[in-house]
Amino acid sequence: MAHSAVVSSEQYNYEIVKKFAIAAIVWGIAGMTTGVYIASELAWPFLNFDIAQITFGRLRPVHTSGVIFGFGGNALFATSYYIVQRTCQVRLAGGTFWPNFTFWGWNLALIVAGIGYTFGISQGREYAEPEWYVDIAIAVVWVVYFLIYTVTLVRRNQPHIYVANWFFMSFILATALLHIFNNLTMPVSLLGAKSYSLFSGVQDAMTQWWYGHNAVGFFLTAAFLGMMYYFVPKQAGRPVYSYRLSIVHFWALSFMYMWVGTHHLHWTAIPDWTSSLAAVFSILLLMPSWGGMINGIMTLSGAWDKLRTDPIMMFLITSLSFYGMSTFEGPMMSLKSVNALSHYTDWTVGHVHSGALGWVAMVSIGSFYHMIPRIWNTTIYSTKLIYTHFFLATIGVILYITALWVSGIGQGLMLRAFDEYGNLAYTFVETVVFMHGPLVARAIGGMFFLSGMFVMAYNVYMTIARAKQEEKTPVIAAAQA
Amino acid sequence: MLKHESIETNSGLLIVLTLIAIGIGGLVEIVPLHYIDSTIEDVKDPQTGLEMVRPYSPLELRGRDIYIREGCYTCHSQMIRPFRDEDLRYGHYSLAAESKYDHPFQWGSKRTGPDLARVGAKYSNAWHTQHLMAPRSVVPESIMPNYPWLMTTNLDYSDVADRMIALKKVGVPYTLTKDEYAGWTDDKGQKHPGTLERFGEQVANTLDINRAEDSLLAQAKAGNYDGDPSSISEMDALVAYLQVLGTMVDFSKFDEDYFIQFR
Amino acid sequence: MLAEFWMWITDLGNSKMVALVIFFTTFVGIVLYVYSNKARSERLESYRYVPFLDDDEYKPQEVSPKQGEK
Repeated sequence: MAHSAVVSSEQYNYEIVKKFAIAAIVWGIAGMTTGVYIASELAWPFLNFDIAQITFGRLRPVHTSGVIFGFGGNALFATSYYIVQRTCQVRLAGGTFWPNFTFWGWNLALIVAGIGYTFGISQGREYAEPEWYVDIAIAVVWVVYFLIYTVTLVRRNQPHIYVANWFFMSFILATALLHIFNNLTMPVSLLGAKSYSLFSGVQDAMTQWWYGHNAVGFFLTAAFLGMMYYFVPKQAGRPVYSYRLSIVHFWALSFMYMWVGTHHLHWTAIPDWTSSLAAVFSILLLMPSWGGMINGIMTLSGAWDKLRTDPIMMFLITSLSFYGMSTFEGPMMSLKSVNALSHYTDWTVGHVHSGALGWVAMVSIGSFYHMIPRIWNTTIYSTKLIYTHFFLATIGVILYITALWVSGIGQGLMLRAFDEYGNLAYTFVETVVFMHGPLVARAIGGMFFLSGMFVMAYNVYMTIARAKQEEKTPVIAAAQA
Repeated sequence: MLKHESIETNSGLLIVLTLIAIGIGGLVEIVPLHYIDSTIEDVKDPQTGLEMVRPYSPLELRGRDIYIREGCYTCHSQMIRPFRDEDLRYGHYSLAAESKYDHPFQWGSKRTGPDLARVGAKYSNAWHTQHLMAPRSVVPESIMPNYPWLMTTNLDYSDVADRMIALKKVGVPYTLTKDEYAGWTDDKGQKHPGTLERFGEQVANTLDINRAEDSLLAQAKAGNYDGDPSSISEMDALVAYLQVLGTMVDFSKFDEDYFIQFR
Repeated sequence: MLAEFWMWITDLGNSKMVALVIFFTTFVGIVLYVYSNKARSERLESYRYVPFLDDDEYKPQEVSPKQGEK
């Protein structure tokens, strides 16, 4: 066994997967720590400390970029490079230089962007805050990533392209499209950071939310479905439930997601037909979303006992359950009548986190616990700590989203309440007072989730340390294996 | 016949078909917004015929840059929806035209604080300055951060003309030449109105890039937004911007349901 | 003729209908293609095992092929 594993680590480029995996955990902790801090600023505003660099407005993009592009992005690079090699049975293209180029390019761009935010360098467009020079760097890295991925696919030894790779491919293509068109800006000077977006008002809003929602749709959904389609079957030791279902829901998902961005702009000055169209497609999107969820969960049919005995499986299946829940909540919130209440409130923030923490983070964590021992050719340091992590994470997510349901729905109802004379029943600041309790609970929920990440970091560190030790004493390693 | 098998085994075909599938939605929803005229309504003063929505003055523009720098959009929206409670709380619903010179738009997605689309002229300059310095000194329950550095940092307006030129390149009618200011007639006899004719003399002068610095200094001096006439601080610029929000269209000049026709 | 068609299709009411018909038939086409033919279904389902073809950790057991499992 040890022998064939050595072969696989020589056949494949695991070095790059290791780098991205470690970076993902580091970014996860950094991004989520920032998240807990800004959540605490909302609950206890003195935490802003009158320091410009750490006020909520400047740290919020540090949190969003850190978790989406830092944690999520690095996790996707790691798993996509791992999956494409193993399902195509070929070494990653580009030698050692180009994959390393994507690693350093991506992470340096994010660090430059993140430091810039704290000094107020921002495009002022959600999830697209990096200024023009970082955008160009990201675009270059992305093209290299696309080429590495495509050339690896072309060189494959396995005639069929496995469905996980389709999802990764559509994620790479869509992200390129979105990133480039949404970041068309006019720099004030080639030596300065400031730029102004090419579009204005209605057109800018439309482009931005076409980008914003599909960052969710392709970056945070399609790509993580790719992850799911490889790691759930591998961890379960059973093939995916239905391959035909995966084909149908892949095309439906790719096609439909791009239409729904305008549901972020219901009741605004955007023409009504665009937002109606988005609402219709949002409802339809429930079907391909649930197609993916069913396909993942049913993979376990006949082996449900694994849910009791295997904490990695618990992570993966719980993530699919949260995926199913948030893809039901999303279409519901895109109905104009519900949106009238939910929009601009914490309900939206809670919804995003049930997807981001419950689905994206948990499926990544589960996949990492499966992948990390394999790329370091060892076993996990402690299964018990995975259990601990699982419970911390689950309690954290549930506390988080429940708190924001209370906060969001409560604020929405208060803002639209009238007294018996037809006057507004509450002032705005009365809703702020009401939200204090839920915002404290939310911050605590975040702390739970973050502490789980620290447990993971420790577990992974010990796993790697032990792997390094085994490497030095190969005889013992062989005996253990 | 095209078989799905050939997609599964041909990466090029997979790429092309995926691009088509993901391309359609964006094309259908975004491209028409640039061509359909009714997307943005024309809002002209019924008496004078001048355009009511104008680009920001140099001082307001610098204020807007600070608004973006501090990430105000992460907690404040600038988009009033057509509901009774929002009408009572914030005022007339926002028109598309009101953000037509906003590069980028700042409609926002979250109201941790109230909407600011029509915050202009609702509070005094002194209130805004005090509120930005220490929000809890005027609204005890507020959870907004203090922004004391706005008061102590002098406004850097050295590149305000460059900023206006960048905005001019993306379509904002700031003017550099006399023709752009006063209007011109091209070879075919087609008339192109200048900013003078579109916005009136007073506004047209603030849109003149050649006079940007003078105009900025004059507005800061006349407005004295932060109550300290000795210097021009970032507070001056930000308050000037906040005070113009939502005030460009004078709704008292229109019938109550005039704007319904554009929705 | 072409101009007439262009006039007809640029009417939002008509283009909406045409688009719906096209998208829906494409969708039904994909579903029929994927599920109708038995041999094709079996071929497609055989790809489920791709992730297991590279299983160096389980190689010694590959004497009894994984495909046999259900």
